[in-house]
Amino acid sequence: MATRRGFLAGLLVSGALPRLAWADVGGPAFLAAAKDAAGEYALHALSARGESLFHLPLPGRGHAACAHPVRAEAVAFARRPGTFALVLDAGTGRELARLTPPEGRQFNGHGAYSADGSVLYTSEVVAQGSAGRVGLWDSESWQRIGEWHSGGIGPHELRLRPEGGLVVANGGIETDPEDRAKLNLEAMQPNLTWLDGIGGIVAQAALEPGLNKNSIRHLALGPEGQVAFAMQWEGDPAEVVPLLGLCAAGESPALCPPLEAEALLMQGYAGSIAWNRSVGRIVLTSPRGGVAMVFDGAGRPVASHRRADICGAAALGDGFVLTDGGGAIWALDDRGLSLLAQHALSWDNHLVALQTA
Amino acid sequence: MRLMLGFCFALATPAAADVADALNTVILPGYAGFATATAALDQAAQADCAPEGLQDEWNAAFDAWMRVGFLRLGPGEGEGRNLAIAFWPDPKGLGAKAQAGMLKSGEIPAEFGEVSVAARGLFGLERLLYPQDAIFKAEAACRLIRATTADLARMAAELSAEWPPYAARMQAPGAVGETEFLTEAEVKRALLTALVTGVEFQKDSRLGRPLGDFDRPRPERAEARASGRSARNVDLSLRALRDLTAALAPEAAVTLAALDKAIATAEGLDDPVFAGVAEPGSRLKVEILQQQVTAAKDAMMAELVPALGVGTGFNAADGD
Repeated sequence: MATRRGFLAGLLVSGALPRLAWADVGGPAFLAAAKDAAGEYALHALSARGESLFHLPLPGRGHAACAHPVRAEAVAFARRPGTFALVLDAGTGRELARLTPPEGRQFNGHGAYSADGSVLYTSEVVAQGSAGRVGLWDSESWQRIGEWHSGGIGPHELRLRPEGGLVVANGGIETDPEDRAKLNLEAMQPNLTWLDGIGGIVAQAALEPGLNKNSIRHLALGPEGQVAFAMQWEGDPAEVVPLLGLCAAGESPALCPPLEAEALLMQGYAGSIAWNRSVGRIVLTSPRGGVAMVFDGAGRPVASHRRADICGAAALGDGFVLTDGGGAIWALDDRGLSLLAQHALSWDNHLVALQTA
Repeated sequence: MRLMLGFCFALATPAAADVADALNTVILPGYAGFATATAALDQAAQADCAPEGLQDEWNAAFDAWMRVGFLRLGPGEGEGRNLAIAFWPDPKGLGAKAQAGMLKSGEIPAEFGEVSVAARGLFGLERLLYPQDAIFKAEAACRLIRATTADLARMAAELSAEWPPYAARMQAPGAVGETEFLTEAEVKRALLTALVTGVEFQKDSRLGRPLGDFDRPRPERAEARASGRSARNVDLSLRALRDLTAALAPEAAVTLAALDKAIATAEGLDDPVFAGVAEPGSRLKVEILQQQVTAAKDAMMAELVPALGVGTGFNAADGD
């Protein structure tokens, strides 16, 4: 916190404008939610070396976050089923707005700003039945300005497409609005849905019928706009299924199995995914299996690294930065894992790279 | 990559005696015993590959694996060896298919470690030593038995050799370059996770798969039916889990009592392959065993989490 206070003191002297850019707040590279030893939750802004530059308290367990493309402003999303999303001024730590989903809707843990930052898109479900929605919010007034159909049941992560619009991971799972119980596992039909800038469906892709219990939940974008997607298997745990897929809009998904000897390491559960486009590497993490698995840009397995409760993943430099529930922050490249920092915190599922970093 | 020291985790402190006890009295002897048993099996197979004559050695090797087979950490996770040693459950019958392919063609790869994990190890041998189908008595079966026992003994010897240095790492958490264990708490968490996962495997897989649903019992899904080891594997695994718990947290009286209760039920079951799951009266006995295993797991979470000062994973348990 000292860094930010010192900086803020300097601000007062210089009389700078109150709306700060990311570079003005110490140039954090990542955002990540965490729980501390006292059981309190916060959103942390992290340097590229894994230092916590500052943190902003959250009222409950967080999940993912997203950052405004220019302004030092972040939105932290509650864990699903979400009743809050906090818009935070990353310069002052002040809560700029607290978004609550409209009556009968729930946030689903992820969101994204439009490229110009004027609109926030939130992943949502209709509480009864889990029909997917994308909520649209004006990022100045924080008024809700509309909503789109997400193209499926139970959307989880959504990503901004480079050409505009969104790609949404519709996980396919109908959940009980109160307790997260899964209600439709036999009938679930996950899909990827590409939406244009006005919410029209551009393309959809589904898995082959025998894999309909493979919930598509998290996304990373490749160099040509193709999507890498991470899955969570809801079928027989003894069945060996791929948890990584690649897909371009309008094409059929390509599934990317790990090495046979490592096929069960992830225990059917991938928690997070990131794509380093500069070196052509994709990382898939499994906190359940305690493994980070690296694939090349064509989805071929490259290496696996063991680390308990590892989950958060984001690209940086020629590799990745990963976070785990034990508080450690790791650099991962082709030489393996190396420790960047250790905090007395439990890092939550996602590590979000700031586009400006 | 420069190391940023947020905390004093780099000061390697020796892990407490409980971790050392778990390693030295249960885990390391377990892998050594498995190496000895598989070496004996392989020696017998190379001398005479007649299936009936190898069943005793195979059972001894399987018994030895039950001492450590539940441990989903350490060297066995490398190169898929835990999978290759005991590939079960195999709902799609991948192992049998791969073996049938080799037996039909008579082509058994010289580099047997490259063969599918599903076709190797204890379950590959069970299909050959207790053949349920004519193909497993094919002329090439003798060569396949010998290739499989040699591969199994090789893997067991590797694990027995690789575990002591791994155990040394577990007793020096936070050493320079260490990435798996940064603190003693992480070592304890890894062992706790192994115990909980091991108990869950008895409950969900060894017992849960044949139990199926009341309306649709699945006795054909019991583990190691051909050799009649289904209930024995639960019994021996519970004993090993009990021994590891007693070494790691001897004060965990409730957990140990709960495991003892389940062990006594398993031993009194008199239903070696859980065939009884299809009949209401005998099904109840298997259900009671499953409930007792569940109670042991609950006791473990209630008692060992505070005793060891660690929980299971924050994200691993989240499910999102």
